[in-house]
Amino acid sequence: MIGIQDLTKIYRMGSVEVRALDGVTLDIAKGEFIGIMGASGSGKTTLLHMLGLLDLPTSGRIVIDGTDIAKLTDYEKTMFRLYKLGYVFQDYALVPDLTVMENVSLPAMLRKDRSEEQITSDSALILQKTGLFDRRDHLPRELSGGQQQRVSIARAIVNKPDILFADEPCANLDSENSRMVLDLFREINEEMHQTIVMVSHEDWHKDYFNRIVRLRDGKVVSDDIIERKAS
Amino acid sequence: MGKKELKVAFLLALRSLQRGSRSSVILTVLIVGMCFTNMIFLPGLFNGIGQSITKQVVDYEIGNVLVSPKSGDQYVSDLGATLDLINGMPGVERATPHFSRGATLKYRQRVLGATVRAIRPNDEKLVSPLYTKMIAGSYLGDGDTGEVIIGKPVAGDSSVKEEDEFQSSLGGVRVGDSITIDYGNGYVKDYRVKGIYYTGWSQADSAVYVTSADMALVDPKAVDNADYITVKAKPGYSEKFIKDELQQYGVSEKVQTTSDLLSKVMGRALQSFAIINMVSMIVSIIITTVVLFIVITIKTLSSRRQIGILKAIGVDKEVIMHNYGFQVIIMAVLGIILGLVITLLMAAYLSAHPVVTPEWSATLYLTPMDLFLNSLILFAASIVAGYVPAYQVSREDIQSAMRA
Ligand SMILES: Nc1ncnc2c1ncn2[C@@H]1O[C@H](COP(=O)(O)OP(=O)(O)O)[C@@H](O)[C@H]1O
Ligand SMILES: [Mg+2]
Repeated sequence: MIGIQDLTKIYRMGSVEVRALDGVTLDIAKGEFIGIMGASGSGKTTLLHMLGLLDLPTSGRIVIDGTDIAKLTDYEKTMFRLYKLGYVFQDYALVPDLTVMENVSLPAMLRKDRSEEQITSDSALILQKTGLFDRRDHLPRELSGGQQQRVSIARAIVNKPDILFADEPCANLDSENSRMVLDLFREINEEMHQTIVMVSHEDWHKDYFNRIVRLRDGKVVSDDIIERKAS
Repeated sequence: MGKKELKVAFLLALRSLQRGSRSSVILTVLIVGMCFTNMIFLPGLFNGIGQSITKQVVDYEIGNVLVSPKSGDQYVSDLGATLDLINGMPGVERATPHFSRGATLKYRQRVLGATVRAIRPNDEKLVSPLYTKMIAGSYLGDGDTGEVIIGKPVAGDSSVKEEDEFQSSLGGVRVGDSITIDYGNGYVKDYRVKGIYYTGWSQADSAVYVTSADMALVDPKAVDNADYITVKAKPGYSEKFIKDELQQYGVSEKVQTTSDLLSKVMGRALQSFAIINMVSMIVSIIITTVVLFIVITIKTLSSRRQIGILKAIGVDKEVIMHNYGFQVIIMAVLGIILGLVITLLMAAYLSAHPVVTPEWSATLYLTPMDLFLNSLILFAASIVAGYVPAYQVSREDIQSAMRA
């Protein structure tokens, strides 16, 4: 699904060089729920942004579904993200002036292969799954953090992306809401075989992943397939 | 840029205006509306004043076309033949001569200098609405002698003391009273006041009208001479057409249209108007542009991260740009509509309560073309003001936008 070869990212700030990623090689298979873990500053976000086509690597190769993403134009990358990738961010990042329903439908509305009825029914279905259907006409500011994050997950998966990226989605949530969000991830991973790449630095999250990649100073220090505990 | 993209951009714009900061939207619309009003009000007022002066000049002074003496001559002579010639031409409603003399009016203790205008009352009716402006008594008849009609300011008001008068008068003449006119050539005669009129045009209102028949007794030259002939065009005939026709078919006197005359007199005034209009338009455009530019710039700057996220989830930069573009378009359109409403309300108010002075009455003269053109100009300025920051923010790279 995703092939990563010798990926490096160097940030230059004046004369100082920061090696945020230092030769990462990794293969991610379809259907995996992979946790990228490591201390703050270890390069997790940087890696996720490279995989998510949000930033360019300094060197190395990323192939997603047979497409070498270095060869895509800006517009093709935008369309690739719209049609194939989904994103969940730490701060939910919903559009504040759109209702829950509108937020969830937004990426679907831009796709050429979705009819209006399909968008409505897909969005409704996803909202039911995330337990927010009766909040569909609310604005994000009228929801709790946990609810907002579930909306943002609904928005990310409404287009049935090949890969779902999540960058510390629980960082702003208490443990109860965190569990709810993680349960939701696990559910869509198991039921819909959704490939998920999630960044986390909370150790207890590892119970949810079925593979854990640990980074330190931009290098992969461990890569373990885990037998998940029965839920 | 497909339909779906435009639809999403429009939805984002609409929701942002509906659910974002209300007061900033209202304020922006208000400013655009005021700028539109400012842009169109002064020119409209100047136009209104110009139109009202033109109308008064046409109505009470020279009609549509003025036939005046050849240079060197004091009068239009051979009056009968000239009038017949002009009246026979297509497009001429009526031609009628004026013959005026300065005179002194006396009534009780009051003495007043005034112009006595001799007219042919029935012909005059076809040229000037004077006969509709009687406020007391009645208009002159063709055969009347020994009777005059006088303007209201000349008649005066007996309840106002002489030293308090704004304009000196005869101190309260009423219909039926007798006034004495001294023409200064030895001819002095008492006239009965047949009617009092008020036109709003000060030159007509400070005059006295008698019939040509009466004037012939004062000055025998009045029989076959005139100071000038005023010509009224039939509806649908241009002043220019009548003028060319008169010149072509043997009227040897000087022939001028109202526009010829007014453009000389008002040319300078119109030039100053044009400068003021230009300044008020430029000021409006600058204010509108600056305000919309600032509003959109603030919006884009405060949602840089938001914009980065939208791009990250696959929203194309064109959609982002048109989102802000549509916001500007909607606010500009609302502002222009507000401006139109304000302007039309003011126009309606001013036409019901015109600012009246002795020379003119000010109403707003606005043509649909003026309204349309000004709307278009302001709209175009708004689009430029909005799309510049929208374009800039939409091109920002995702990383720097998301980390903002
Ligand atoms: N835009 C940037 N400019 C300069 N340095 C950066 C930038 N983004 C990240 N870094 C640096 O790269 C390193 C890895 O950052 P990041 O991937 O955000 O770590 P993590 O997500 O694991 O906390 C850090 O040292 C960080 O300071
Ligand atoms: Mg991070």
